Amino acid sequence: MARKTIFIDFSKCIECLACEVACEREHNGKSHIKVFEWQEMAAMALNCRHCETAPCVEVCPTNALYRDEDGAVILAPQKCIGCLMCGIVCPFGIPELDLINKIMGKCDLCAHRRKEGKLPACAETCPTDALVFGEWNEIIRERRRKFTEKTIELSKKAEGISLQGV
Amino acid sequence: MEERLVPVVCPYCGVGCRLHVRSVDGYPLGIEYAGDIPGISNEKGKLCPKGNAVVEYLLAKDRLTKPLKAKEEGKFVEISWDEAIKEIAERLKAYTKDDPDQIMFFGCARTFNEPNYLIQKLARMLGTNNVDHCARLCHSSTVSGLRAVFGAGAMTNTYRDIEEANVIFIIGHNYAETHPVGFRYVIKAKERGAKVIVADPRFTRTAWHADIFLQHYPGSDIALLNGLIHVIIKEKLYDERFVRERCTGFDEVVKAVEKYTPEFVEKVTGVPKELIIEAARTFATAGKGVITWAMGLTQHTHGHDNVRLAATLSAICGYQGREGCGVSPMRGQNNVQGACDMAALPNYFPGYGLVTDPEKRAFFEEFWGVPLSGEPGLTAVEAAYAIDRGKVKAYYVMGENPVISEANANHVMHALQKLEFMVVQDIVPTPTMQFADIVLPAAAMLENEGSITNTERRVQWSFQAAKPPGEARPDWWIVSEIGKAVGFDKAGPKGFIYGSAEDILREINACTPQYRGITPERLKANLAGIHWPCPSEDHPGTRFLYRDRFLTPDGKAHLAAVEHRDPAELPDEEYPFLLTTIRYVGQYHTATMTMRSESLKKRWPEPLAEIHPEDAEKLGIKTGDWIVVETRRGKYPIRAKVTRLVKKGVIAVPWHWGANVLTNDALDPDSKIPETKVCACRARKVSEEEAKKVMEELPPVIPKLEVIKG
Repeated sequence: MARKTIFIDFSKCIECLACEVACEREHNGKSHIKVFEWQEMAAMALNCRHCETAPCVEVCPTNALYRDEDGAVILAPQKCIGCLMCGIVCPFGIPELDLINKIMGKCDLCAHRRKEGKLPACAETCPTDALVFGEWNEIIRERRRKFTEKTIELSKKAEGISLQGV
Repeated sequence: MEERLVPVVCPYCGVGCRLHVRSVDGYPLGIEYAGDIPGISNEKGKLCPKGNAVVEYLLAKDRLTKPLKAKEEGKFVEISWDEAIKEIAERLKAYTKDDPDQIMFFGCARTFNEPNYLIQKLARMLGTNNVDHCARLCHSSTVSGLRAVFGAGAMTNTYRDIEEANVIFIIGHNYAETHPVGFRYVIKAKERGAKVIVADPRFTRTAWHADIFLQHYPGSDIALLNGLIHVIIKEKLYDERFVRERCTGFDEVVKAVEKYTPEFVEKVTGVPKELIIEAARTFATAGKGVITWAMGLTQHTHGHDNVRLAATLSAICGYQGREGCGVSPMRGQNNVQGACDMAALPNYFPGYGLVTDPEKRAFFEEFWGVPLSGEPGLTAVEAAYAIDRGKVKAYYVMGENPVISEANANHVMHALQKLEFMVVQDIVPTPTMQFADIVLPAAAMLENEGSITNTERRVQWSFQAAKPPGEARPDWWIVSEIGKAVGFDKAGPKGFIYGSAEDILREINACTPQYRGITPERLKANLAGIHWPCPSEDHPGTRFLYRDRFLTPDGKAHLAAVEHRDPAELPDEEYPFLLTTIRYVGQYHTATMTMRSESLKKRWPEPLAEIHPEDAEKLGIKTGDWIVVETRRGKYPIRAKVTRLVKKGVIAVPWHWGANVLTNDALDPDSKIPETKVCACRARKVSEEEAKKVMEELPPVIPKLEVIKG
């Protein structure tokens, strides 16, 4: 089944951190998305990628990590023992230890908001649509369409280039 | 227990985003995005970080809950509302009897139209035009400059026009950081193939998204704009028909820009001449273009002329009176446009009739039933100097924080100390209250209802989402009580008897031509709001201005021919650097609200002074070192960030935490805006202890009010 997740278009990110603040509000003061400034004034948000073959789900000894109907990797807090295994295997370093509750914490694609038919807060708030929530293949197809349109537009403007035979 | 979703307008910047506040029994719990309301300024309910954190400042622990009276400077006792109103009314009456021009009123761009209308009505009915607000410090040159060229001082278009433009010229405006949700439309236009030209002395986040980036020296805007106009005229790229039919003064412009060849402009601005030519060609040949600007263009001693030139550039290209065109000065506060429309300004009546115009004055004398003064009043900065001269003795400050926001803050504090009587009305303790005699607790914008006008002239109704804490009261209630106590207790427009904000808006409808059809009923039914001018109740509002004619007396755009002038203060041997002020996306103006929002404070905890690596090396400064920036007016300790974002010889300091002790209060002769964006400074490395010592002499951004018993 096609899976919905958050697509990140870093060329549109203006590093306003609205996603972090929104996530923090929805998750009781803890933001699960982080914006990295990879070059001065240029940044990119990174949250859990909810991997297809998620190593965190595979190593979890208590089956606290599972996949919900939208394909999001969710942590069941009552089962978590805080062994950090998910954090060790995650290549992005996403799961964090919540020292107060002694369990792990990670992005759940705003399960409580999806239940009400709303988007995850980060994607909903992103002022420039650098974060888009949707079905992966559709987003990619849309991107391809835009790129093709732009290329055709450009070649129309360029003199002496014929579109025939392209 | 009843959970409600209340539609409100964001209390921060001028984009005027809609959102819902989720509240239970008047206690705000969180927010919900307003994606369900069509046609709002923040399409799909998008919000920036400040909008996401709006509930946090409402719940600040140090909200003001009772009226306070000063026993001595900075020490307060609690009093009742009756006592407070009575004392204020008596003092105001006493000053009025003597000379009403001894009182200075400050309106507020962060509260609704209604209290702003009332405060200027109170001032004018008392017989003085001394009423101003923070637009003086940000966009007064826009109001005066655009009025001179086009006849009205407002954004001519809407966000939709930015989205539909083919070229967007952003000058002196860090769009991505100051109006992130508005920047959405620039990104969307760019995706469609529009070109983005950014002119800024600093490489900003906005510049990162530019196709052409012009990095000019602070204060060289006139030369840059003249250079662009020069190329456009030389290469005959201007709209000949538009210039012939709808503009006057073109020949003077041709003469004035003659010497601004790309080579000359390169020398003055530091922008390579090839880029100037490319930018000019790109802008003039796009077919549909928008110019946006903010503080970088306005806060200069030649701000008025900067704005006139930007408008001239737009007009000669024919980018007026059409879709996808126009000029867009981006307002800083959610209601600064409204506060200007309501005439919390010393020289206008509501709806921009001049106080010197006998016809307009006669109308309001009849409407309010009292004789009015025809002398324009004092502006914000002039008032501080008038205190020195003993001309002004009392201040009534509604929701402003001049100690942090006004240029040359040391002088402002020195002046406020000399005041005989000062009332400050606000939601939280501010450093300005140090000098107050009476402090009035106001309800925050979200705890109150009323109409609010965003930067695109869109008037929206914001509903009450939460209960005010303690005895805090709505701004309109406070001003109307004072009005009644002063003696204006007649019914209708001749007095101050109001039952609700709606009553006041109906009175505004009656006396302000632009707002005539914007009734409370219509606003409540239409959450997306109405763009003024809206001359009648069945009028749908106006998306862009000047379709057929400009609002100048002859209906034509009066093009500006302006010579380059240097800023009032330039670097010399003693003060070798140029100082400019900047902002952070997560902090807002004097930081009274954002520094009380935990999630924002955590991410933007302190200011960093940006300094070029070569300058830093000479001074032995590394990133993270404490430095003291000094100007002729003050000292400011701050940590340094060594970066290539600023030009060599420029130091950029965020002003949210009080850097205005450094800035210059030299005024633009036309608009009286202080030159906050450029002055000469020097910097030296200091130890942390020394920096802390200097910091103690400065006013604290988040002060504690001392309340004593008895």
